Amino acid sequence: MRLLVVVVALTLLPASPALAVELDELLETSGEAAYTAEQTISCSTPDGARDAVVRIVQDGHQLWVTSTADEGTEVFAGAGGWSLRRGDGVISSAAVESLGHNATPVYEVERAGPIIFLDRAAMRYRLDRDGVQRAELIFDLESGALVGSTSFNADGSAYCRRRFVSFTPGAPEQPPAGLAAPTDAQPVDTGLGLPETVAGFQRLDQYRDDSGLRFTYFSDGFFSFAVFEARSEVVLPGGVLARVGDAIYHRVSSPGQVTYVWETESGMMALVGDMPTDLQEAVLTELPPPSDPGFLRRVWRTLFG
Amino acid sequence: MRHPLESISAYLDGELSGGERDDFVAHVGSCGRCARELEEVQAVRSAVRSLPVLELPRGLIPEADAEITPLRRHRGFWVGAAAAVLAIVVAVAALVTPAPAPLTADDLASRFGARVSLDPAFGPAKVVAPRVEQGLSE
Repeated sequence: MRLLVVVVALTLLPASPALAVELDELLETSGEAAYTAEQTISCSTPDGARDAVVRIVQDGHQLWVTSTADEGTEVFAGAGGWSLRRGDGVISSAAVESLGHNATPVYEVERAGPIIFLDRAAMRYRLDRDGVQRAELIFDLESGALVGSTSFNADGSAYCRRRFVSFTPGAPEQPPAGLAAPTDAQPVDTGLGLPETVAGFQRLDQYRDDSGLRFTYFSDGFFSFAVFEARSEVVLPGGVLARVGDAIYHRVSSPGQVTYVWETESGMMALVGDMPTDLQEAVLTELPPPSDPGFLRRVWRTLFG
Repeated sequence: MRHPLESISAYLDGELSGGERDDFVAHVGSCGRCARELEEVQAVRSAVRSLPVLELPRGLIPEADAEITPLRRHRGFWVGAAAAVLAIVVAVAALVTPAPAPLTADDLASRFGARVSLDPAFGPAKVVAPRVEQGLSE
């Protein structure tokens, strides 16, 4: 098992230091909590509603997530590891290390008041970025668990809403299986050509894995995305063509996550992130745009990388 | 379903009006046949535009220095020959070189998910529903 790496410092503006400490402590407690829960995820995406119900088992800083639509499909995440299992087989897995970089504070936190949630006392917190509410978090006061959250578009409409619909505190009787042998992604210090800041998101880590796939991780302290650069094709089942500005991308929206794929002169690029729609578009307009490399350049890239 | 295949060239030439372009993009986004057709037409256009333009060296055909018309006939031959040779070289190289394995959405999600799990706000607020097998078929 990998060494557990825990980072507990949500990047909050110093304007509310007491609340920042309070929320940091709640997040730390939430991360360490042990419970079993069912969570609904409801997202309003440009591609329509994306909803799901998942079963979550958290034990320490590790999560097991099972889709109620397919009990045989399970995700394990924690301590820099991620693994997707279907039936008896591991479909995909990865492990990364953090370089310890944190985003510079961009969120302002405000206590939004107490609430009764699942017949339990809870507290709501509001996170604002640049004067716009971007998230609301609901913590169960007794266990510290993060039992609800909502992310918002710039116009105030909800992008994704997550709510526990059942909640059983305490360690699971039978812990699920752990992480399979992952594909290691090694952090690299050299720049991979992407800017340090994209639409207010800060470049934290860059990785290159065994297959040569390179990716860069950006965060604003709450939302985050990764930009991938690859020379191979990216298969995106169910993708639609999406126009952002003057450019066209392939896009797949799923409950809680969006994936964009496009081709540039230097190769294939992809973005995977959890930010609201307007921030997705702001980010894409600051990244290398789609362009047709031409037949010969494409063949050259395939042959020689 | 009507497939607007006749609109592909107009779309690539930027000749569709705003409404026509939006309808076309929406259709292509949900129609595998039209999406493939669009990609093929784009590939052919790119291939044609990528072909080199060759100039004959002076004196190679003495008569050509005096008469332009015959030179142009020969230029067509040499351009065609060069393109054929180039196509053969590229085809052979492409055949003997294995293409890198395509990446899947799961490959990307796994790396993103692994890194997210180190985030301060990691937890139920970042949970993503696992994509089920049913949704993976092309």
